[in-house]
This record gives sequence, C-alpha cells and structure tokens, in this order.
Amino acid sequence: MNVPLLEMKGITKRFPGVLANDRVSFDLYAGEVHALVGENGAGKTTLMKILYGLYSPDSGEIFINGEGIHIKNPREAIHHGIGMVHQHFMLIPPFTVLENIIIGEESHRAGILKLDEPANKIREIMEDNNLIVELDARIENIPVGLQQRVEILKILYRGAEILVFDEPTAVLTPQEVHELFKTFREMKKRGKGIIFISHKLDEVLEIADRITVIRKGKIIRTLERKEATKPLIAELMVGKPVLLEVKKPEVKVGEVVLEVKDLRIKSPRGYDVVAGVDFNVRSGEVYGIAGVEGNGQSELVEAIAEDVPIKNGDIILMGKSIVRWDVRRRREAGISHIPEDRHRYGLLLPFSIAENLTLGMHYREPFVNRLQVMNRKAIRDFAKGVIEKFDIRTPSEMTPAHALSGGNQQKVIVARELSAEPKLLLASQPTRGVDIGATEFIHNQIMNAKGEGRAVLLVSADLDEIMSLSDRIGVIYKGRIIREFQRSETTKEEIGFYMMGEKEAEKEAGEGASGGGEERADKAADKGGSGDEA
Amino acid sequence: MGQSMFIFFLVKGLEISAPIAFAALGAVFSERSGVVNIALEGIMIVTSFTIVWASIALQSVWLGLFFAVIAGSFIALIHAVVTVTFKVDQIVSGVALNIFAFGLARFLSQKVFGQETQTPTNPYLFPQLLGVNSVAFWLIPIAILAWFVLYRTVFGLRLRTVGENPEAADTLGLNVYGLRYTGVIISGAMCGMSAATLFPSQWISGMTAGRGYIALAAMIFGRWDPIGAVLASLLFGYADTFRIMFETKIPIPSQFVQMFPYILAVVVLAGMVGKARAPAADGKPYIKGED
Ligand SMILES: Nc1ncnc2c1ncn2[C@@H]1O[C@H](COP(=O)(O)OP(=O)(O)OP(=O)(O)O)[C@@H](O)[C@H]1O
Ligand SMILES: [Mg+2]
Repeated sequence: MNVPLLEMKGITKRFPGVLANDRVSFDLYAGEVHALVGENGAGKTTLMKILYGLYSPDSGEIFINGEGIHIKNPREAIHHGIGMVHQHFMLIPPFTVLENIIIGEESHRAGILKLDEPANKIREIMEDNNLIVELDARIENIPVGLQQRVEILKILYRGAEILVFDEPTAVLTPQEVHELFKTFREMKKRGKGIIFISHKLDEVLEIADRITVIRKGKIIRTLERKEATKPLIAELMVGKPVLLEVKKPEVKVGEVVLEVKDLRIKSPRGYDVVAGVDFNVRSGEVYGIAGVEGNGQSELVEAIAEDVPIKNGDIILMGKSIVRWDVRRRREAGISHIPEDRHRYGLLLPFSIAENLTLGMHYREPFVNRLQVMNRKAIRDFAKGVIEKFDIRTPSEMTPAHALSGGNQQKVIVARELSAEPKLLLASQPTRGVDIGATEFIHNQIMNAKGEGRAVLLVSADLDEIMSLSDRIGVIYKGRIIREFQRSETTKEEIGFYMMGEKEAEKEAGEGASGGGEERADKAADKGGSGDEA
Repeated sequence: MGQSMFIFFLVKGLEISAPIAFAALGAVFSERSGVVNIALEGIMIVTSFTIVWASIALQSVWLGLFFAVIAGSFIALIHAVVTVTFKVDQIVSGVALNIFAFGLARFLSQKVFGQETQTPTNPYLFPQLLGVNSVAFWLIPIAILAWFVLYRTVFGLRLRTVGENPEAADTLGLNVYGLRYTGVIISGAMCGMSAATLFPSQWISGMTAGRGYIALAAMIFGRWDPIGAVLASLLFGYADTFRIMFETKIPIPSQFVQMFPYILAVVVLAGMVGKARAPAADGKPYIKGED
C-alpha cells in the first residue's frame, strides 16, 4: 500500500509555443480515485497521453509499483496494465461490441478468430463490474452510455490495473453518471487505481479520494477529499476566486419569437427522429430542452437553423414561416446558432480567429467593399474589439483557430453568434468540455442576451446547465416533448426521470411512495420555494 | 440458344469477368485498410506485360504469373510508400502511377522486344478447362478465401479497424502503417491474377481498356465486400460477354454496343449514391498524434 501503483515524476512536455506539462509529478495508489482537474488547455490530456505512450515526454520518469519503465507506445502501456478511456471514444461504429473489445487482443488458432473464449471472459468481467452490454449489438445502434461501457470493458479485458478516464461524464445523463460511479466503486474494491478527469466539480467531490489541480502545465496542489471544497478547487484552477453562480436578470417576457408547430422530421433510417414537436420561445426567455442525446434534439435545432427537409409542420419566426428560407435569410432575419459540434460546424480550424469571428457577416460592409473585396483592416479591428470584449485568450487575432484550447474556441463561436445581435439564439451544448471559468462566462453571456430581450433556445445534456439557465424546460424523448415544466416547479431528479421516458418517470414516481401523483405535486411545491432563491 | 452454347456463355463470362473480379477483390483489401487505389489500371498494364515477358524469358507461364504478382505488388508498394508514409493525396498518387505504368510498359516492350506497342505472342499458356483459361475458375475459391480472411481472421479484423478508425487502432496498439501497406500490396498482387486471366498470350498497349477502373466501380457497387465485389464484376463481365457473343447479331453500330458495360457501370453507380458506405477513414492519410 505504501508503494504507489503509479508514479510520474518531473514530466515535461513542450509543444511548439506551449509548455503543456512543466515538471509534473503525479501518483496513484491501488484502490483510489484520483481526480485531475484544471482549465481548458492546462495539460491534463497531454499528461495522460504520455502515460499511455501516445506522446513521448521531453523529460521525466514513470514508475509502476516502484519500478522505472519506459512507455514508447500504447501497446507497451497496455502491457504495463494501463488502460485509457479517451475524451473522444475510440470505437468502430459498424463493428459489434465483442469485436470492439477484442481488437488487438484477439484469441485465435492459426490466425483464425476464436470468439467464444473472449466472449465468456468478457461476460465474467461484465458481471463482476456491473457493466452489462449486449455483445452482439453494433456500436452504432447503442446509446452513448453503453458505448462508454464498451470502452471500459475494452481496458478491463486487457487486464488494466490503472484506468484513466478523460472527461467520461461529459456525454452522460445523470443516471448514467450514477451507474459509472457505481462501477468506479466496484473497481476500487478490486484494488484498481482510477484517474478521473472532469470539469464538473460536483462529480469530482462525489467520487474522488484525492484531487490534483493543474494550471498552465504545472501541478498547483493535491488535495485530500476532506479538505476540498468547490470554491477552493475552482480558485486553485483559475488562480483567482470564481463566482460559481449565474446572475439571472429580471426581464419581462415579451412576445413569441419562435414557434414550432407539429414538426416532424424523417431520419435517413426511415423513422421520425422528430415526431411532432410543439413549443414556443418568447423574447427575454430561455427555453431549455433537456434530453438524452439522440432523442431528436440535434435534428430539431438543425431544422430551425438550416433548410433541411422536414416532413410536416411549421417553424415560425416573428410571425413568418421560415421553413423554406435558406440559411443566410434565416440568419439575416435574426437567428444565431452555437452548434453542438464546434469543430465540424462552428469553426474553420485552419482560418484565423479574425476570419472566424466575421464568418456569416463576411460578405457585408464594412468587411468587404462594394466590389466584394475583403477589407482586412476592418476585419482585424472588429476582431480585436470582440476578443477584448469576450476575453478570448489568444496570442493574436491572426492565430489560427486550431491553436486555441477547447474553451477558447467555444468563446470564439459564442462571441461571433452574439455579436450578430440575434432575435433568437440557438445554443446547443454551449459549454460541453469547457472549463468552469469559460462556462461561467458563456452562461453570463447567455443571461445577458436574455436580459437584452433576446429569445434563447438552449439544448443541453447537462442538467445543471438546463436548471440554472432556463425559464421553461421541455423534456424531449424519442422525438417528442413529453413534458414541459416551469423552472420553478420542477427538480433536477424529476427532469432526469422524464429523460428516460414517461413510463420510467411514472414508475420511479410510483415507487417513491404511494399516490405518486400527489407526492410529485408536493415535491414540486416544496422545491419551488428553494428554486426561486437560487 | 443451344445447351452447349449456354454453357459456353457461362464459362466465357467467367473468363471475361475474372480480370475485373480479381482486381476488385484486391481493391477491397486496399480500401478496407483506408487507401483508395485508382492505380489498379496502371498496375494491370504492368502485370499483363510482365506475365508475357517473364513467361517467354523463363519458358513457363507459372513463373510468368509469379513475376506478374511480384511486379503488381511492387507498383502497389510505391503507392503505399507515397500515400501511407508520405501522405500524398491518394488520387494524385494513383493518377501519377497510371501515367507512369502506361509509359513503363511501352518502354520495356521497346527495350526487350524492339516494339513499343506490342510483344510477340507467348506460347506458354495456362491449361484450358471447358474451352477457357483454367485460372478463371480460381476466382471462386479465392473469393471465398478473401471473404474468410476479411471477416474471420485476426488480420481481417485489424485491417478493417484501420480503415474505419486508424486513431483507435493506434490506441489499441495496432500497426496502422503496416496494415495499410499490406492492404495496398494485396491489391497489387491481385492485379497479377488479373493479368493471368486477361490475355497472357500477348501484351498489346491499351489492352486493359479501363478494366482497372471498372474493377473499382465493381468494388463500390459490391459495397466494399469481397463477395459483393465479385458479383458486381460478374455483372459487368457477363454484360460484356453478351456483347461480344451477340454484337454482330444486333442492328446497332458496334461502338454503341461496346459502350454498354461502361454505361451500365455509370448507371449502377449513380443509383448507388448514398446507399453504399465506404470505410470511414477510406482515402484519408493517417497522421500519428503528435506531429
Ligand atoms: N498535438 C498537439 N500539438 C500542439 N499543441 C498541443 C497538442 N496537444 C495539446 N497541445 C497544447 O497543449 C496544451 C495542453 O493541452 P491539453 O489537451 O493537454 O489540455 P487539457 O487540460 O486536456 O484541456 P481540455 O480541458 O480542454 O481537454 C494546450 O495549450 C494545447 O493547445
Ligand atoms: Mg483534455
């Protein structure tokens, strides 16, 4: 117990222009969860990639059970009992669960795959760790939470003793997080060591035994669970005290800005991904859509932002049907969009920040002259102003977008979409993978927009975000909004249950006590009071 | 038509399909590993020259086949070095190799036989079976073998992994570059088989007549699957056989009739749009994490 399972000493790693890890020391004992927290770009992933043999450190040493080792590639890391669940899943969608687990560690006779043996071994691991998945299912057909189980099974199958989880909860529902933590506790009992990276401090405080804070590549401090509090961690991360609350401005909710009527959208696979959605958003109001990913929310937002084919229904902006309008016309009419996949739809990664900030307005004066020739100076001046106003951390406005950390890339998008002064802001997962400082900032920007009388449609898998920003909340399940709540009349738990479907929600409510309906009403009234003061 | 005529149509169709089908099978391996190989056409030009040359020189068509397979693998290896190691665009490399191969075969023919556009006839031929080249019949076991290798072996699973998500393959400790090299080389080697069934008795400049491209079309139509690719090749091959056997009996100008298999390819591919799914990382060079 006294020799750590893992010890990393004096790890330094430099990328062109950044010192990503600066003499970092980090250790992990068997049977503990050690959380690693820090702002975007602090160097967490880099440190873990070094451990996993994906990057080689410029200097530093790694010990496993007291023995110095060199890890040149992932194969060696696996050999030393290190397993990693990556920030972006490393699965092959068209393959089965079983195939995904065994790739690289196949059982075979003369090169011919043997599937029974590994299947039995995996079933045993599933039982032991509370990680049940259908082995014959294809990855593309199972939800994100189960895909993550496959990732965990993959590393347990390889006999990992040290398990690294890089932001595993970013894509999970509260219930799935709960299940994941159960698995963590199982694994702890079996003497495994777990490294857990997350931006959600509540989760960190719930599961971690020790918490290490890293800032700008340097270890700031390692806290015991007992001494850790949310404000303390936040302060260590950012380097100054952080307000962990958003100020909700008092605004009069005005006229209806967006109205969606009986919207249906057919998916390429043939069923209705959006299956009859009705709701509206008013000016000065934040309408939150809560739901497990893949229940039609992405398609819904896409249909409002872009001219995708719809099967039925209408989308009305300020009294006018926009379903036949192209994207430019919609934007000019006052729709802004923070897309969920910032790399694919939000940014042109090789382009400069200045260019990214003027996208969508790039064809208008003053950014072009009458001959449609770009006015570089106007673009740069505009960008400088926005960078200042939105506190985007970048060496210059001409830096390419890919060189920014995730949080700052997100700020570029938020800044651009808000400087268009929209009537309607569509915000999809606006803070996914973004650190607390940037999250706080983005939340405040959304609240400002609300204060200025803009209508905001917020889609998020993060229930805390939905709860703290929204005025009204619609729960989407299998393409329909199955319940709509006033923020003040509901609780996080209730929303969480509805996210699993009506039936589930009623079952849970029924189990809670006799006369479930009344109970829920009581609870709602109860929480209503505390909700207001928050 | 009479019964013997029908059987002849069947085996002749197989013989005519075989060069396309072998190349298409090879292409499945290349693309499943993530490398688009449009150099098939050029590789086929080189292998069909090599089989004639080596057969005459070594007085054995079997040795001719051996060297054709080697030559095909070698050209494919160049494609692999350029696209996998040096990450040059795969289409650009393929086009360059096609142009290079076209010239190379003519150059060698001039050097070896003193004639740029054709070689003398090669008297060493494969045995006949049912009146056609017996190597054509190998197609059936080789197709089944290819299917088995791709779906039932460790190598096949890993090859497909690399074509879908090389980054994931890397994190699992697979050798991404090695697997891609292997996939591409298999496609070159299979062009040696194409040469054995195309026209091993003589090499004439232009004799491949776009079969490498038809093979690519067949592979796509066959949904990147060995059995599918072979069936699609048979469709094209039999369409061509039908044309050859009945061309003179149809009252349309022969140029139009000759276009038939190609038009079929275009129509079939146009109808496929959006339905087939290529391996996710097909055509994309893989750059390891750090650089
Ligand atoms: N492959 C790379 N090439 C160049 N710079 C890199 C590379 N990977 C990371 N960096 C830089 O190293 C620093 C640390 O990045 P890292 O991904 O480790 O941050 P992180 O703590 O995981 O942040 P996040 O919370 O956003 O995931 C950042 O400044 C980043 O831009
Ligand atoms: Mg990271």
